Amino acid sequence: MKKFQLPNNFDYKNTDILKQFITETGKIVPARVTGISASNQRKVTKSIKIARFLALLPYTDMHQ
Amino acid sequence: MNNYETILIINPNLSSKVADFQKKFEKLLTDNSFEIKKVEDIGRRQLAYSINNHHKGHYLLYRMQGDPKNISEIETKIKYDEAIIRHLILAVKDLSGEDSVLLTEALENKNKKSESAEEPEKAVKEDKKLEESTKEVSDKEDSKDSPTEEEEA
Repeated sequence: MKKFQLPNNFDYKNTDILKQFITETGKIVPARVTGISASNQRKVTKSIKIARFLALLPYTDMHQ
Repeated sequence: MNNYETILIINPNLSSKVADFQKKFEKLLTDNSFEIKKVEDIGRRQLAYSINNHHKGHYLLYRMQGDPKNISEIETKIKYDEAIIRHLILAVKDLSGEDSVLLTEALENKNKKSESAEEPEKAVKEDKKLEESTKEVSDKEDSKDSPTEEEEA
């Protein structure tokens, strides 16, 4: 199983950490795959969605 | 009094006039009785996807303290400012005085470029390798932002 690094505080600006939790196509990896706690998964999800809005992470790999 | 973090993405064509823009925006904040705790000029950065046909954006980050009533006023001002291609105001619990990861990244990239690209491969590495390299760098600098490792079998 792939190892996932968790930060001390979740930060939408720390894209290196968040990139672990998205697939190649830009989807958020589900909790059953990441295996992290539900609370942490929610924090990851929220950070990823903020980072996407600010164009730090892609929504999909289909962007032109 | 609440703590806020404001991120602005400025039109990259106006990147050279950012200093003027910052003055203007800081005046707007102080006029609305916001106390600016920290300003970060992250600089031009590649966008993950194009916004209004821009592929790059100039990122600015403000950490500030102020009254929630005045936020809407700033929002409307930002909305009609064509220089700003995207913005986000977040309420946060604590305002950290440390540099954000984005700023440290930007500074590192600048240093790398000025070192006349000793190892040009480094910039274009896969995710896993990139994590390792950032780890090394953070170890060297003893940065406080270095992530904790939690291994899960």
